[in-house]
Amino acid sequence: MAQIEVDHLSKHYLVHEKEPGLIGSLRSFVARKYRTVKAVEDVSFSIDAGEMVGFLGPNGAGKTTTLKVLSGLLYPTSGRVSVLGFTPHKRQNEYLKQFTLVMGQKQQLMWDLPPLETFLVNRAIYEVPKADFEAILKELDDLLELGPLLKKQVRKLSLGERMKCELAAALLHRPKVLFLDEPTIGLDVTMQARIREFVAEYNRRHGATVILTSHYMADVTALCDRIIVIDKGHVLYDGNFRALIERIAPYKVLKVQLDHPPATALLAQFGEVVAVDGPTAVLHVPRAQAAETAARLLAQVEVDDINFEEPAVEDIIRQVFAGRVDGLLAEAKVAESSHSTPNAM
Amino acid sequence: MMRYARLFGLFLKASFLVELEYRANFAARAVVSLFWAGVTLTGAGVFYSHAETIGGWTFNEALVIIGLFTFMSGFIQTFLQPNVQRIIDMIRLGTLDFVLTKPVNSQFMASLRHAQVFSMVDMLLGAVIVIWACMRLGYAPPVLSLAQFALMLLMAVLIVYSIWMVIATLAFWLVKVNNMAELFTSVYDTGRFPVTTFDGLIRLVLTFVIPIAFITTFPAQSVLGRLDTETVLMAVAMGGGMFGFSSLFWRYAVRSYSSASS
Repeated sequence: MAQIEVDHLSKHYLVHEKEPGLIGSLRSFVARKYRTVKAVEDVSFSIDAGEMVGFLGPNGAGKTTTLKVLSGLLYPTSGRVSVLGFTPHKRQNEYLKQFTLVMGQKQQLMWDLPPLETFLVNRAIYEVPKADFEAILKELDDLLELGPLLKKQVRKLSLGERMKCELAAALLHRPKVLFLDEPTIGLDVTMQARIREFVAEYNRRHGATVILTSHYMADVTALCDRIIVIDKGHVLYDGNFRALIERIAPYKVLKVQLDHPPATALLAQFGEVVAVDGPTAVLHVPRAQAAETAARLLAQVEVDDINFEEPAVEDIIRQVFAGRVDGLLAEAKVAESSHSTPNAM
Repeated sequence: MMRYARLFGLFLKASFLVELEYRANFAARAVVSLFWAGVTLTGAGVFYSHAETIGGWTFNEALVIIGLFTFMSGFIQTFLQPNVQRIIDMIRLGTLDFVLTKPVNSQFMASLRHAQVFSMVDMLLGAVIVIWACMRLGYAPPVLSLAQFALMLLMAVLIVYSIWMVIATLAFWLVKVNNMAELFTSVYDTGRFPVTTFDGLIRLVLTFVIPIAFITTFPAQSVLGRLDTETVLMAVAMGGGMFGFSSLFWRYAVRSYSSASS
């Protein structure tokens, strides 16, 4: 049985609008105009225990709103949500003890005290037995190298160090389900990679289910086999990440370096020529024929250098958002539950 | 219950550790407390230099009220003010999410998470003034009065707590409610005088609308052994009712909370 089930979830907000400038502010102080924002609209998916799923989408797509509904922070406007057999918005303690929510932009650590003090409070809140607490802390310490950070005031930690401690604070009760909302935001590349490795290792060791939102593509590509692409509150794609790439970009990018500007017609026999810049040419070659094409090219044309690249993930996702990919939903895992194909938004 | 007592202990400890980070603050706090107690006492002294009794209270009896007023101010500054301020900030910034996803009563966690421990100086000072006043009166309260006083004090605490919590809860819709907290503080200032010194309408308002009388005057009457049973029952109803309302209101607010930013 699926561990997380979301069935036709919608969440609408009432927000007030403010016109710019002083007059606008005064007007909205006296009489507010309200507008309904459909943050999430008819979203359905289900996730099995131990899966790592990436939510992709631009800002304001509805990723965070979905996570908040799953965490029980928001009441769904309509639809049904179930996690570990619980209805999140009832916020029963038995449920709250089994998941964790990490938000890269918000912190729970006490600012003026060392992280260890927050850990001790969380231990009491989650009623973690002392022996378990020590074992878990030891493990997190090994994985995240917390050592000296634990006794330094949070305000003196760097952003990356603080994020490591935030993660530790969120995992002391060994949750079964992890909601990670932009956990690597603002971190440098090395620290992003450290956090990513940690999440992967944690998932391997404890079989925890992970939902990750990030707008760093690298986070998602490194961690998640499955992605759910959300835009303007709708699910645009749900399924295997590789499959998506192969479907949208059924080619590899072949870069050829010649010693003189090439004749386009000559190169066209090997694949679709997308760019020629002096002696360099870029071709799209069908995936299946990549190796064979390269061999043929090397045999027939004199080249200085040749290399294959995967199409840039950013470009692919952009195509999904642009609605340029027809029939994606029909092929996606949740085909049966997405009756209205929200395309070309 | 035990669990919550332990958690409260941990919260206090953490708050104490925070304040130890800022040592100079403690000295400043103590000076401020003594200064304000001095101002209140001198003010009362000036009033009583013109009259034997005011609103039926002698100077020494009024001292009991001043002591209670100081004690409750200390309580407000130790527990209510810092937490209400934080609740307002958490609502504005969206970090209330961390409170709401914890497996504890969210009102407990939000309203008692922090304590400005050094303001307990005021609570101590208030207690000392009450004891000093009794000594000047040459009066030792009988055990029954003390028990009744303890009950009245508990109700007073519940009433102030509930008023502050309702103000904080309004922040779910109004976001910034700091001025409402200010408003309460101004009205609370009337608590340093016996409610009987006020006339008709104002006295009614201070008894039933913003029940300041229950916070200082009635507990003072209680320790002096002059409180009738009806008022005690009224206090219990008031304290219980307001506390019940504040929790229901909090629960309702959490339901409509939409958590700020993303």
